[in-house]
Amino acid sequence: MSSQHPPLEPLRPTYRLQYLTDKQLQQLQQATLDILENVGVRFPSEEAMEVLDGHGAKVDKSTEIVKFPPEMVFKALKSMPRYFKLGARVPEYDLQLQDGTSYFTTDGCGVQVIDPETGQERASRKSDVAMMAHIIDALPAVAFYWPMVSAQDYGRTAILHEIDASWNNTVKHVQSETIMGKRECEFALEMATVIAGSKEALQARPPLSLVVCTIAPLVQDQPGIEGAMVMAAAGIPVGFLAMPTLGTTAPATQAGALAMGDAEVISACVLMQLVAPGAPVFHSLMQAWADPRTGGYISYPRDARGRYGVVEMAHHWGMPSLGACYGTDSLEAGTWQSAAEPALDPFLAGLTSPEIVTGMGLARTYTRLYPEQIIMDEDLYQRARAYLQRLEVNDETLALEAVKAVGPGGHFLTQKHTRKHMRTSLVRGITHELDENNKFREPREVARERVRWILENHQPEPLEQAKQNELTRILAAADKELG
Amino acid sequence: MPSETPLLEPIRPRHSYHLIDEGQIQTLSNGTLEILAETGVHCPSEKCLQIYADHGAQVDFNSQIVRLTPDLVHTYLKNAPRYYTMGARSQAHDLHLEQGGLYCATDGCGVETIDFASRERRASCKADVGIMARVSDALPSIGFYWPIVSAADHPSTAPLHELEASFNNTVKHIQSETVMGEPLGRYAAEMARVIAGDEETLRSRPPLSLLVCCIAPLGQDKEGMESALLFAEAGLPVGFMSMANLGSTGPATLAGTVVAGDVEIVSALVLIQMAYPGAPVFHSFMPGIMHPRTGAYLGTSLEGSLLYPIGVEMAHHWGVPTLAGVFGTDGQVPGWQSAAEAAASLMLCALAGAETGSGLGLVESCTLLYPEAVVLDNDVYQRVRREVESLDTSKEALALDVIKEVGPRGLFLKHRHTRDHLRERTFSGLTTQPNPAGGKMDPVEVARGVVDALIANHYPQPLENSKQTELTRILETADREIGAAP
Repeated sequence: MSSQHPPLEPLRPTYRLQYLTDKQLQQLQQATLDILENVGVRFPSEEAMEVLDGHGAKVDKSTEIVKFPPEMVFKALKSMPRYFKLGARVPEYDLQLQDGTSYFTTDGCGVQVIDPETGQERASRKSDVAMMAHIIDALPAVAFYWPMVSAQDYGRTAILHEIDASWNNTVKHVQSETIMGKRECEFALEMATVIAGSKEALQARPPLSLVVCTIAPLVQDQPGIEGAMVMAAAGIPVGFLAMPTLGTTAPATQAGALAMGDAEVISACVLMQLVAPGAPVFHSLMQAWADPRTGGYISYPRDARGRYGVVEMAHHWGMPSLGACYGTDSLEAGTWQSAAEPALDPFLAGLTSPEIVTGMGLARTYTRLYPEQIIMDEDLYQRARAYLQRLEVNDETLALEAVKAVGPGGHFLTQKHTRKHMRTSLVRGITHELDENNKFREPREVARERVRWILENHQPEPLEQAKQNELTRILAAADKELG
Repeated sequence: MPSETPLLEPIRPRHSYHLIDEGQIQTLSNGTLEILAETGVHCPSEKCLQIYADHGAQVDFNSQIVRLTPDLVHTYLKNAPRYYTMGARSQAHDLHLEQGGLYCATDGCGVETIDFASRERRASCKADVGIMARVSDALPSIGFYWPIVSAADHPSTAPLHELEASFNNTVKHIQSETVMGEPLGRYAAEMARVIAGDEETLRSRPPLSLLVCCIAPLGQDKEGMESALLFAEAGLPVGFMSMANLGSTGPATLAGTVVAGDVEIVSALVLIQMAYPGAPVFHSFMPGIMHPRTGAYLGTSLEGSLLYPIGVEMAHHWGVPTLAGVFGTDGQVPGWQSAAEAAASLMLCALAGAETGSGLGLVESCTLLYPEAVVLDNDVYQRVRREVESLDTSKEALALDVIKEVGPRGLFLKHRHTRDHLRERTFSGLTTQPNPAGGKMDPVEVARGVVDALIANHYPQPLENSKQTELTRILETADREIGAAP
């Protein structure tokens, strides 16, 4: 018997903050257009260059660099939908993107797992993708699923096995950030059509979406961009994620890195609209910093300003944003660093209101999975959700009659008002749980226990047998052809 | 040669927000006025009751209940200054509240310490106050110093010994939250007078302020109120803090607890303005939520943290600065929980426009000192300080010429622009330290090293000898009068 579906708990902030001024947004957009027109972006794909050439871009086939006149950019982006729907296996979990609502997902795609049984580190595998899909199916904070780790036990078709494991263990929308290449995308599309039930349903409620990384500075990835064209043409939402690193693959100033990353994203979105006008696309930009001593990738400096300005940049272009939260540089889960870095993320994201946000649950800069970390990151999420709510002020909550009845020096313990409200007043996460000695338990232990409880007690609604069989058949064909 | 005390780095947000709207603030403050007028507060001090009575409050001397009409409240609060300066031993470290920005203090007043050398848990002592004053002196995130633990080795006059240890070990402003009662208050004011040097400086740049806790529900503390009057008379800022515990000493709803706590604070602010019109005062609302099984005060529960920025809004509604509740984890060691709980209240209160906040450096609900906690909290503070600043979109920052030069597939590493600006990027000194064995060092270990180094090396500008001698003399007199020194 499958478990019930707990309602999702997206962030719905009751107040907002404009991080970048209108003038700054204008400046940044002008800078993007300047880069697109005068520097260009490299598209190492004949097919993409053909499309862009046919719509007024200046294409140099020898260097594969494409330059975009501003009017071409605006004309192409006109067909872009501001909002769309991310479908789920069950309609209750469909995500209708809209202003003022942020749906969060997990992180991905890690490569190491701390085995929950042995506590030892090992390479990630398909069963881990399944286990985490099972866990997040029970978490109201997680609205959709990124396969959290790589199904490394399946070689070249790992990316398809990841979505198979996902759909078999959660009814929520699945977003892949690993499916690259034309044939791979065609197989994924076939699998998504099985889940949706028909091509029409696939377009109306796509159960799969895709994130494609660009390559800084100013390059598109051939398998990524060609796969994205396949997906966009079929109605699968596609987003582009720029990851400029300040100091190595991007200027050492944030504004420059943002403008450059934006140019990468926008150039890809323009292509998608030319391939399939009206295709659902989204924008994502996650800047990082080069460690000045090692050149290493630092996700969290002390000065992470701009992390949420990019959300406003996406909205300024008129498209949804995939915001970036979490992804601690801490090597381990449950450490001081693993909370100090992302603690404010969901709150700050909520203030700028990206439509979708990644991603909870990985340590070591998005590469290592500790199963309990998703619960700890969810705790930070629930804190933010509380902070973004408005105080309820009415006669009942003001409790003036109770205050008058108690008066100076009394106590509220015996008041009917206290009995009525006390159960809902203390919103606890994994902190403030007591042990047998009435001492607070270690939050990480509480998180581990929660993971065990979910795995033992939560049964996600199984995928219909016929659909399971179909996915298996497609996977077998893909393994045969690609693997 | 003394160590240099770095300039302060208050949090100056480029954005602001209001967690509650004007209508809600009005409703909450009307609630406060209604309770003040109808129910009143308990004030067990004859001296205070007389002041209330002399200025038009309805006072029942038998029950010691004071009721204040809305007119009285408004009339007297009008005298309270919205901003003032909190002086320091070094003028460069004065806190100018009118300049905007949030200045934070350490936490206080813990009762136990993880020993600096042995790492054993023990009762706190005066030496701890002095050592942590030196550590705090070196951290630009610490705008002023709360004696972080109790000088428990000087039982009767601990609050005065805490002040002496503080003044001797930091050039920053000191705020006590333990000087209670008439004799202690008198001696503390005398010590402040010594530090200031003259009456005019004492009033224009007071080096000491006082925080007095009210007693929920709707009560004031006799000793606290009487020392507050002495401080106000001397021109030293005084603030009142409500720590109503939702469910036990406050109603079980957030709004109800805001009102109940606000009543306590406002009644005390009114008293000070009645006695000394124009005296610098502040409002501090740091409630908890009762643990339903143990009755404990929880300062950092999910929803409970909302109460702190709302306290900021209430303070500003009454026209006075606030001391906001920031940091103060319920976690038992510096770790995931302390970091998870720290940042949000700091960010929320900064965005709400708080002028001062407390405090960094304690765990176990403000009772236990881990020396490294203040360095870890400092790191969180610096993250928040940056997060609330605005983005630079100048021509230099947009770097279009650089991007054009580097182009697709290029590398920015060797560009002069990178050399110029990469150094400006601020990385956490705690999370990016390479481990000789590979990878990065544990930030908590790094923080311990930072504290050890500060303890070994940071010795701020000492207090002038004559002032040290004066403080010692005052302490000896106080020890004789109030209690025997150990």
